[in-house]
Amino acid sequence: MTTAGSWRGAGAGRGTGPVGSSGAGAAGAGPGGFWGVGAPSRALSERLARRVFATCALLAVAAAVAVVWALAWQTVSFFAEVPLGRFLTEGAWAPFSEEPRFGVLPLLAGTAQVTAGAAVVAAPAGLATAAYLAYYASARTERFLSTSVTLLAGVPTVVLGCFALEFVTPALRRVWPSVEPFNGLAACLVVGLMILPTVAALSRQALDSVPRSLIESGLALGASRGRVLAQVVAPAAGRGIAAAVVLAMARAAGETMIVTMAAGNQAHLAWSPLEGLRTLTTFIAQMNMGDAAPGTLAYRAVFAAAALLFLLAFGTHAAGRALLARRSGP
Amino acid sequence: MKFFRRHGKAGTACGVGAWTAAAGLALLVGALTARGWGALDPAFFVSPPSRDPSRAGIGPALAGTLWLALLTISFALPVGVGAAVYLEEYAPRNRWSALAESVAASMAAVPSVVYGVAGLAVFVRAMGAERSVLAGGLTLAMLALPAVVATSQEAIRSVPEGLRHAAYGLGATRWQVLRHQVLPAAAPGVATGACLAFTRTMGEAAPLLVIGAASFVTFAPTAPGDPLVSLPTRIFAWTAHSQPEFGALAAGAAIALLLLLLAANLAVLALRRRMRGAHP
Repeated sequence: MTTAGSWRGAGAGRGTGPVGSSGAGAAGAGPGGFWGVGAPSRALSERLARRVFATCALLAVAAAVAVVWALAWQTVSFFAEVPLGRFLTEGAWAPFSEEPRFGVLPLLAGTAQVTAGAAVVAAPAGLATAAYLAYYASARTERFLSTSVTLLAGVPTVVLGCFALEFVTPALRRVWPSVEPFNGLAACLVVGLMILPTVAALSRQALDSVPRSLIESGLALGASRGRVLAQVVAPAAGRGIAAAVVLAMARAAGETMIVTMAAGNQAHLAWSPLEGLRTLTTFIAQMNMGDAAPGTLAYRAVFAAAALLFLLAFGTHAAGRALLARRSGP
Repeated sequence: MKFFRRHGKAGTACGVGAWTAAAGLALLVGALTARGWGALDPAFFVSPPSRDPSRAGIGPALAGTLWLALLTISFALPVGVGAAVYLEEYAPRNRWSALAESVAASMAAVPSVVYGVAGLAVFVRAMGAERSVLAGGLTLAMLALPAVVATSQEAIRSVPEGLRHAAYGLGATRWQVLRHQVLPAAAPGVATGACLAFTRTMGEAAPLLVIGAASFVTFAPTAPGDPLVSLPTRIFAWTAHSQPEFGALAAGAAIALLLLLLAANLAVLALRRRMRGAHP
């Protein structure tokens, strides 16, 4: 889904348009004109079809514009009252207190913590999955494992959050009693599980694009399997694998339900993964508790946080796609 | 390309990693079933939420999720497929179409909670739809749209070029080629892609939470203007309770949600097989 652009080249000739279509648009000239009614109605349906499809495309663009506009509007009015410098440097985020403070750093730190923690879980596991499926697994094992990866990708995040809260945290607490009921560790583990299918699928694509001849010549020269993996496959697929991890991290940064449910929404800046933490997304989700009335500064702060999250995700995703696009280079 | 069928050390390490997903999934299903199995009796699927855990159920939430699915599909499917047809078959290939494509791909990467915030501003406040099923459906439609466009584009692109040329060669117009050749051939791919996008959207809780679905609603929606309820936000609301009995209810509702999504996916697989049969 995310790599749709990569094989665009295949159909490039289509844009020039078919020979016949413009002729039909110019009414009566076509063979359909024989019946008198055929040509005008055909020309009409041609024009109508084009217009309907163009309207759909416009509506889709309008939806994207509406998202950006809605975020930008309130964000601008937020920054009219809270200077950008304060937003970026102040050390506390407390929009609902008597003296509201709007330092976004603690939220960003929480987001970074979850993203990094999830990547630590998902990058090795996802890469191992991709390598195992590409080079080792028998057809039956491959079918079983890739089905379970696909199924895992379809599990809603609220279900994963329920799993984190009802199973992972109690299990962690049994092993390690100092873990708090809401903790970042369970959130990182389960968000890692959530992005594992993304890493696995995208790095599998990267591995599959390594030319077979490269691997065969490595083996023919007497290199061991591990050496071929490390010195032939890894450099050739490196960019694609890096892109896979980056794109998956973009998803982890935006994950809301798992983090809200497993790590709670702690007001303080926690560095220990055993305690709860707070991210850009958990703050946004907290708004539903009815704390922020429309028009207040706290309400607008939600939009500022969402705009920041939008830029983060959009930017990370663009970086990942740029990595993918350059993969075919030398 | 199984070069390394006999495992070395690297192979064993990869094998261990490769089972993480399967193990995680098994643990997830096992743990939720163990926790929530007791809650799953027939009354659970029809009764409204209640302060008494033994009488609480997911009736309104289930109805709300079905309403949301209906609304989301009826907004996002025509617009998404139409936009994909325009981009693939009509729009000239130039800088703008490339830009549109990369924007669409990046919009698909925007976190769902951000769509919730946008939906709050656009539908709940500016359009005055309040916290209704309609506002929820429109928000989810915005969320699903980039994915529907991208998968439909891919399906349309994979229709063999020869099919189009043959039809044009016989004198068909652009719309005739689309209606009789390209769209039927692309339909199975479009349906599968769109269904994946919609089932993913149906499991979303974050955007609905933001536009305000957590309020305590005990009746099922019967019109788009009724208050917003949904199964994912019901699960969230129950996990937020302090009483452990509600945790079991949340696990039961999570199982119900998984079964619902699985059934939807299987239905589309069957549909796709039938469509493939009709148009090989």
